Amino acid sequence: MYTQTQWGEEGGPGPKPAAEPGGDDSHRQECGDPAGLDACVKCGICTAHCPVARAYAPFPGPKNLGPDAERLRLEGVALDPGCLAYCTNCKTCEVVCPSGVRITDMILRARRQQGSAQAESAKSRLRIRDHVLGRAEYLGRLGTVWPEFTNTVLATKLTRRLLQKALGISAEAPLPKYKKRFRLEKGSAAELTSESGQNGGKSVEGTGSSSMGRGAAGDPSAGNGSASKQVVYFPGCFVNYNDEATGLAVIRVLEHNGFEVIVPGFHCCGVPLTANGRFREAEGNARRNLALMEPYLERGIPIITSCTSCGLALKEDYPRIRVPAAKRIGAQTYDLFEFLWLLHERGELKEDFLEVRVPLAYHAPCHLKAQGIGTPSLRILRLIPGVKAEELDAGCCGLSGSFGFKAEKYELSLQIGHALFQRVRQGMREGKFKAVITECGGCQVQIAQGSGARSLHPVWILAQAYGLGGGT
Amino acid sequence: MWDGLVIGGGLAGLIAGIRALERGKKILIVSEGVGSLAFAGGVLDFGRVRELRRLEKHPYAYVGEMAERAFSYFLQLNPAYTGTWGRRGSVLTPLGTLRETELLPRRLDASPLFKANKIVVAVPGGLKDFFPEIVKANLQKEFPSGNVRLKKLSVEEFADWRAAGKSIPGTVYAEFWGTERGNTALKRHICEIAGEADSEAIVFPGLPAIGCPEVDEVLAGISLPVVGMTSFPPSAIGLALYESLTRRVKALGGELLIGVGVERVEVESARARRAIVRSKGKETALTAETFVLATGGFLGRGLVATPDDVRETVFGLPLHVPPLRGGKDFLGEQPYARAGIEVDRHLRPCDPATGEVLLENVFAAGRILAHWDPWLEHCGGGVSLSSGLLAGELL
Ligand SMILES: Cc1cc2nc3c(=O)[nH]c(=O)nc-3n(C[C@H](O)[C@H](O)[C@H](O)COP(=O)(O)OP(=O)(O)OC[C@H]3O[C@@H](n4cnc5c(N)ncnc54)[C@H](O)[C@@H]3O)c2cc1C
Ligand code: SF4
Ligand code: SF4
Repeated sequence: MYTQTQWGEEGGPGPKPAAEPGGDDSHRQECGDPAGLDACVKCGICTAHCPVARAYAPFPGPKNLGPDAERLRLEGVALDPGCLAYCTNCKTCEVVCPSGVRITDMILRARRQQGSAQAESAKSRLRIRDHVLGRAEYLGRLGTVWPEFTNTVLATKLTRRLLQKALGISAEAPLPKYKKRFRLEKGSAAELTSESGQNGGKSVEGTGSSSMGRGAAGDPSAGNGSASKQVVYFPGCFVNYNDEATGLAVIRVLEHNGFEVIVPGFHCCGVPLTANGRFREAEGNARRNLALMEPYLERGIPIITSCTSCGLALKEDYPRIRVPAAKRIGAQTYDLFEFLWLLHERGELKEDFLEVRVPLAYHAPCHLKAQGIGTPSLRILRLIPGVKAEELDAGCCGLSGSFGFKAEKYELSLQIGHALFQRVRQGMREGKFKAVITECGGCQVQIAQGSGARSLHPVWILAQAYGLGGGT
Repeated sequence: MWDGLVIGGGLAGLIAGIRALERGKKILIVSEGVGSLAFAGGVLDFGRVRELRRLEKHPYAYVGEMAERAFSYFLQLNPAYTGTWGRRGSVLTPLGTLRETELLPRRLDASPLFKANKIVVAVPGGLKDFFPEIVKANLQKEFPSGNVRLKKLSVEEFADWRAAGKSIPGTVYAEFWGTERGNTALKRHICEIAGEADSEAIVFPGLPAIGCPEVDEVLAGISLPVVGMTSFPPSAIGLALYESLTRRVKALGGELLIGVGVERVEVESARARRAIVRSKGKETALTAETFVLATGGFLGRGLVATPDDVRETVFGLPLHVPPLRGGKDFLGEQPYARAGIEVDRHLRPCDPATGEVLLENVFAAGRILAHWDPWLEHCGGGVSLSSGLLAGELL
């Protein structure tokens, strides 16, 4: 059984940086070799689609910052690093590029090389801000120790003005509400099916397992229990600190399908750290998470994510870490609905759905699109009788993790999301739908702020269809 | 399990998908990139269909009636477009010369210019890849009896672009005219031009032409004809056409998987079974009853050329590759343009040597087909539309 020790950043149970080589070495190859550069046909499609370049004049756009500048960088010429910080890493450019150029790899590499985090945060208050925003975990822990207090404090105008002054965190930006920390008790299935919307105060530290009365089943070394009916759930910071109820809904849905859900005490996936220029810490988190996952990965147990950014990190970034577990993580990570769709295709998904009569709009998060799995949640929801779900198809919400929390980027972030908000408001006005569903917690917060619409994770609709308590 | 899996989301693949969805099929479209619609500027050339139909093995020869059906089908699908079967219209190129085409967005229809004696070219400040003096000179040549003048518009909303020393992409301008502030500015500028004595028609580069009711409304209230222009890639109008087609796919309940390529397709006894897609972290297998292969030509990367041969990238199908003889005349016929897949009347890939059908449940459409040349025959949009529509009927 693991003990969660995320408090002290360096005090975690993580392994010493592994000495032995392992994992996917494609990263190394890419670093040494400008592969992808020649693939670029200079069509400019990426820049035409980049949500930041469309909204913000000084941003040179992906073509310029990626393949064009890469040539210069290879010759040792560096660009103004400030503009690199405006890339939100939404990956739209890569999705639309007809030639498969790994544009964001180039941009992130350049940021890493130029230490653009420092350049961007020349002032120390901004460094602290990146430190805070980079760690959903820190902010989260602060909030979950005493959620009511934190929410009240964060909600006051005065606090927000102070935050903006002191740290450059926008006074207007929709900081998510903090709830009690997501915790899963060992053998807590019964508890889980109880009303969960009210943040039931479960707070046992350590690996939780939802197995009914099977005490040690969460322990991977315990040989009992068939691996095929076990999954590991990676809840991610948003569920951990802001939206415990959704995490519990995910677990109940998986349990309803006969799975035992194991939740080790994972650390932040690292995406917010990377986005705020804290690359080394991001890698540290990845190593620690991989160490926690390793025993399960070895037994072929799938890792399930319900946050699309965590999912992308596990599939795209973790395989590049040089530890043996990295070899498996990409192939064994599934978005929740990707996993459920596989079950459906194998005829193993429980489809005893109750009718759910609610018109919905669906927003596909950028980091779901980047996973290259389509929109499995829409596919699943459309199996449910009564569900009508229309895809909004109105581009990026603009928040991009912590990007939109930054004072100098807040306006821009709302501008990027403008088309989406407009569509949502119009659809609500015309009565076309009653709520917006989207997997990403950040998108949910931003859509609610930008358009006033109710927004929630698609798992709630499924939970309702299973009669497990609903979200609509 | 899908009824149909479309590989390649360019014009041909999207039309195939939309038609099949209308017929009630469950369709998934998988595409590496967004396709070449963004290059094509939003006009669709059909070329001399009746003559081309007589060429042995030309796609128009086997799609038959479908060419005319595709023409009217597209008009009904996209009300922003206009065209008359068998007749040609004209649009302005980015440099202000005239070019003929068959299906065009109404906004681009240059015919009012033939009747105007006084043409005003609006010059939106800082618009990228727009060369007012050249456009003026070319228009003057095209309409020698008319008088052409330029009218600069300063758009204050783009002050920060100018301050950053950047010209404003057509896509950004097009989006702006559709916003509330852009709309007000557009109305003001156009009314000002219309109020001047020497204006009978306005040429306006960078206007949105598809799916922008706000702009349509402003222009409907103007007594002068306002003629838009095609632009250099990436073209705002081409992208808008692309977006209108993908929206249609989604509205019909279809699914699009953009940004990942089909790595290969597993084939059993001449039937395609599962397409393997490179998702992040792992491969995803997609099972379908039927498949459309619409991966485009060399630009779409359905075909790749190596120094000694040409390869089809998904199935590794044998190709028709014309003998290399041209090449001397740079602008003359490029034989590689006619390279591609040979098919039977149901678009099923055949062996070019024996004529034998190689895949029973795969239909090829668009640029990947052999025996046609969009550049010489001016039929890029027409062949892709008609073969795409036929594939959509067969799926
Ligand atoms: C520069 C240019 C200008 C043009 N101008 C005009 C014009 O003015 N008028 C006109 O009528 N026509 C024009 N055309 C031609 C017209 O656009 C094409 O005939 C038509 O778009 C071809 O459509 P397609 O769907 O066959 O191929 P494409 O549009 O090339 O689409 C193929 C798609 O398949 C995807 N793909 C490739 N391999 C895979 C894979 N393994 N897995 C998944 N997806 C894959 C590609 O990413 C691409 O999105 C122009 C073409 C070009 C290139
Ligand atoms: S990176 Fe891709 S989309 Fe961007 S210019 Fe190059 S080929 Fe075009
Ligand atoms: S990742 Fe997103 S913001 Fe960054 S360059 Fe690409 S499209 Fe633009």
